[in-house]
Amino acid sequence: MKVLAITAVLLSSLLTQAPSSLQPAAYTYQGTVQAVHPKTASFDLVIGVGYALRVLHMRTSPVTQFAGDGARLSLADLKPGDIVRAECRMTPTGLVADRVEKVEPSGSTQERMQ
Amino acid sequence: MIRAGGPARAVLLCAAIAACQTPVKPGDPVRGLTKDQRASFDRGQVVFDSTFTPATGLGPLFNSDGCGECHEDPVKGGVGDEVELHASAFHAPVCDPLAAEGGFVFQLKVTPALKAALGIDSEPVPPNATARALRTTPVLFGRGLLDLVPDSVILSYADPDDRNGDGISGRPNHFVDGRLGRFGRKAFVPRLDEFNNGAFSAEMGVTSPAVLTEETVGGKPIPAGVDPVPEPEIDQAVLDRTNDFVRLLAAPTPLKASKDAKRGRKIFVDIGCAGCHTPTLRTGDSPIAALSHKEVAAYTDLLLHDMGPDLADMCLGEATPAEFRTEPLMGLRLKPNFLHDGRDTTPEQAIQSHGGEGSRARDRFLGLSPSERVALIAFLKTL
Repeated sequence: MKVLAITAVLLSSLLTQAPSSLQPAAYTYQGTVQAVHPKTASFDLVIGVGYALRVLHMRTSPVTQFAGDGARLSLADLKPGDIVRAECRMTPTGLVADRVEKVEPSGSTQERMQ
Repeated sequence: MIRAGGPARAVLLCAAIAACQTPVKPGDPVRGLTKDQRASFDRGQVVFDSTFTPATGLGPLFNSDGCGECHEDPVKGGVGDEVELHASAFHAPVCDPLAAEGGFVFQLKVTPALKAALGIDSEPVPPNATARALRTTPVLFGRGLLDLVPDSVILSYADPDDRNGDGISGRPNHFVDGRLGRFGRKAFVPRLDEFNNGAFSAEMGVTSPAVLTEETVGGKPIPAGVDPVPEPEIDQAVLDRTNDFVRLLAAPTPLKASKDAKRGRKIFVDIGCAGCHTPTLRTGDSPIAALSHKEVAAYTDLLLHDMGPDLADMCLGEATPAEFRTEPLMGLRLKPNFLHDGRDTTPEQAIQSHGGEGSRARDRFLGLSPSERVALIAFLKTL
């Protein structure tokens, strides 16, 4: 897999640090799904600041929650180009998502109807 | 669609504003700053003018060694003669910005240490790119004002389905996180400070608290030992100062309009240029009073428009290869070349290069009498 898990990328505008140092560091990223890997139950997320873009590789687990449009989803419902907000934890083997929610772009028709 | 009620009136307003005040020169700060804000502008200019070396964080991949190296003409904050390389992969409707391969900005220079390690002179474009694009240096004057135009104002000009039948659609672009974009030739970046902070990484290879990791070479990390400076290579204060300077750079006052230029101003509206090049936008709230609720003679709607197949190059975000953001015309007289890749050297050529949604206005321009064309160009050269 050519995508690097640049897990040290902590872009300040997209990051929420967990208050307790006793728990695994928790982060929230919002970005565009680049690829979905069903075999490894993982996906790649493009995040960035201006023209500096980075890719995060994020695994899911059986308890990862997927949501969007008010419905429960699954990893299979994600596709490249989707915008998601992912709450995740840093583990010794990389980022693991706890919750992944599809979001609409700002000013989209759906957003204006809400 | 809600087009600004009277483009002609707006153009006249711009002219009236210009006539009533002492001209703002390129590189000046916005009027009405407090003493502290002016000091911030001056401090920021020092950072903007500074240069980096490999020992202070430059590279290993970079396009320039300082902000002022590219944004230099006629003064700092202006244009430059550098042309950089972007690329992406378009698999309709999805655009791959090649983030996994190092991003869509392909740095054209490397430090001696990286060259010694990898034997490359620039970042190679990966084979999965479907298009390459050349990009000239954008003018920064007045961009702090564009930063403050509320999203709702930009969206009010959108007409993606061309419901009013004027041949102009206009739709917003979005950043990777879904926020409305406005900066860059594809309206990809939402905020001015993000554009600047990202440039430290993508253009100079300088890491910061905003972007903590170096650019990669085709997605592969920089070899060990090549980059001697620990991350972040600059601190938040450097970012803040740079952002202060860029945010407070004023839009130069248009030149006094000649009789021809005044006639050209009306022609600009009559032939439909103002359909995309919206003469004025209004800023929203800002803690900086000098930027808050101000009219800005931007001549852009900050939206994407299909400019036809001849200008098409790469996708970015939701922008298809043929879609570009309406280029702001403020400061046009300072530009030595025109369009996103600098292909044209006169405003006349640039107008004739317009296609797609710009075709109707272009054809009307071509149908003008010689004196009307002269008048229109005279107007543009006042901006």
